[in-house]
Amino acid sequence: MKYHTQSPASTGTSVIGITFNDGVLIASDDLVSYGTLARYRNIPRVLKVNEQTVVGCGGDFADFQHLSKIIEQKQIDEEANNDGFTLTPKALHSWITRVLYNRRSKFDPFWNTWVVGGLQDGKPFLGYVDMLGTAFVDRAVATGYGEMIAKPLLWEAVEKKESITEEEAKDLIAKCMSLLFCRDSRAFPKYRIAKVTKDGSVIEGPFEVNVDWSIAAHVQGYE
Amino acid sequence: MQRSLNNSETLSGIIQKPQFSPYTDNGGTVIAVGGKGFVIIGCDSRLSSGYTINTRFQPKLFKLTPQTVLGSAGCWCDVLTFVRLIEARLKMYSYEHNKTMSTPATAQLVSIMLYYKRFFPYYVSNLVAGLDEEGNGVVYSYDPVGHCEQSTYCATGSSSAFIQPLLDNYVGKKNIANAEKGKLLTQEEALRVVNDAFVSATERNMYCGDSIILNIITEKGIEERVIPLRKD
Amino acid sequence: MSIMNYNGGVVIAMKGKDCVAIATDTRLGVRSLTLTTDFPKVFQMGPTLFLGLPGLATDTMTVYQRLRFRLNMYELRENKRVRPQVFTSMVSNLLYERRFGPYFVEPVVAGLDKDGTPYIASMDLIGSYQEPEDICVAGTCSEQAYGMAEALWEKDMDADKLFEAISQSLMNACDRDAISGQGAIVHIVEKNKITTKTLKMRMD
Repeated sequence: MKYHTQSPASTGTSVIGITFNDGVLIASDDLVSYGTLARYRNIPRVLKVNEQTVVGCGGDFADFQHLSKIIEQKQIDEEANNDGFTLTPKALHSWITRVLYNRRSKFDPFWNTWVVGGLQDGKPFLGYVDMLGTAFVDRAVATGYGEMIAKPLLWEAVEKKESITEEEAKDLIAKCMSLLFCRDSRAFPKYRIAKVTKDGSVIEGPFEVNVDWSIAAHVQGYE
Repeated sequence: MQRSLNNSETLSGIIQKPQFSPYTDNGGTVIAVGGKGFVIIGCDSRLSSGYTINTRFQPKLFKLTPQTVLGSAGCWCDVLTFVRLIEARLKMYSYEHNKTMSTPATAQLVSIMLYYKRFFPYYVSNLVAGLDEEGNGVVYSYDPVGHCEQSTYCATGSSSAFIQPLLDNYVGKKNIANAEKGKLLTQEEALRVVNDAFVSATERNMYCGDSIILNIITEKGIEERVIPLRKD
Repeated sequence: MSIMNYNGGVVIAMKGKDCVAIATDTRLGVRSLTLTTDFPKVFQMGPTLFLGLPGLATDTMTVYQRLRFRLNMYELRENKRVRPQVFTSMVSNLLYERRFGPYFVEPVVAGLDKDGTPYIASMDLIGSYQEPEDICVAGTCSEQAYGMAEALWEKDMDADKLFEAISQSLMNACDRDAISGQGAIVHIVEKNKITTKTLKMRMD
């Protein structure tokens, strides 16, 4: 018997993304878990596709690697064509949606949630795709626990003002990542940020979540 | 070798694995009211799964032709796929016949395309609103496998049970003594009833809210409006 | 299918200005089979107090009889009429006594207090209650009734307007439910006056 519907094995947790006045940020931690075991602790789950497109991925890590290879090859093919066209974030978002939808229709899904970001015709673009092919675009997105823990903060920030600066966005990401580390048992204090601006895309980090244990000494019963 | 099973184990497998389901319900409500020379189709803009709101602004109306709009809600991944396919079919038609498809023909196409997936259906509630040959508003409603019914008003999606009786009363003049049955609403009346329907559904249904997106279809074209709703 | 949808039926209550209204359909059925069209689910429990018990019909009757007994005992012991708020507690208590083997009814209480203040309350099958400022809805077409009532209800309606709102809510809701309807009864409670009307509606 062929087992179609697997379950995820090595998994990554939340990915969060936010747009700011002239670019996007996508962040995810460096941990790949095996069940409850913190198995691989130095694996970035954000990927630079080209100078205007980045992706981040949660869920099954093997599926992410598999699709990463295909996406990287797509980018190489696109470059080789040398026709002036590049893989835009909107196009990649659409492509990932179709791939995931086709696999779910075969009852053999890619067990991932993707965040695609970049600059589309000079404007910030941020999209979300889940394992079924459910896709949407928003100014701030989050996957997994990030959807419950980080998204309220991200939304509050983007709804309050017309646009926010890169600095404000980075501070917010840092706050969200530390909040996720506090409450998500599969989160990790080391994370990376993929950034796209008109100057190109770059993966920054690893950053450390600010863990301050100095207060512990004042907690009764801690020793 | 005999071994006893602990709580996390079952007889069918050592560890209970998460069951994969290809469907999910992302909510969404669509209403359409037709009249003389116009038809109004509206949707809410909330996209949700379970207790989380995915996005507060996801339009669920799709302009198929200059006089026909499709409203689609339910399993969002199926909506995306279905809409892409139908847009491709309409494009092929327009290239082949050098004209856009009429509303009744589009309505029939939707039905056929839904039934094509009879044994692995698109889990979607559809509503087609447009103008007929005389330029009057018509509404076609569907079930997920393509059953089609023509009417002048309809509500589908997660809040259909809240809104349909209201439309029966206001638009269909049901249970009103001495009412002029079959008398169609004016555009202003129709706009008001669609707005009221969304406001009351939003009060009581979690999967409805954020904003109303309206498409007003007349001979002159399609006018789009956005009206805010409660965001809680 | 849930046991709550075995017999079918709906009850709505609304607050107005110095008046309340409570309405019920009159169908009794077994799933899709209609047995009788003479089974109202609203009972008068005092001069200005009504109780609606939609849900499983056998429990409607049992809960009504047990409440009638408790109410009689209360009135004999205390030598006074029960207040609507107290009656709600009484219903809630009775239901919570069966916390792990509940009566399958969703009661709705409507009435006027001693000083004529309108009061409505509704609760779930184990007695968790709410006392809203506007409407109470329970039964198999509660979604439809909520949609109607939410749109038609306004603050401070007089008795005539209240009757129109509750009647339209009930009838149009029932017309979109296969197991509710087949007649309806509306009670309008004003100070020193109770009006009971039977509605003529679709019987299919």
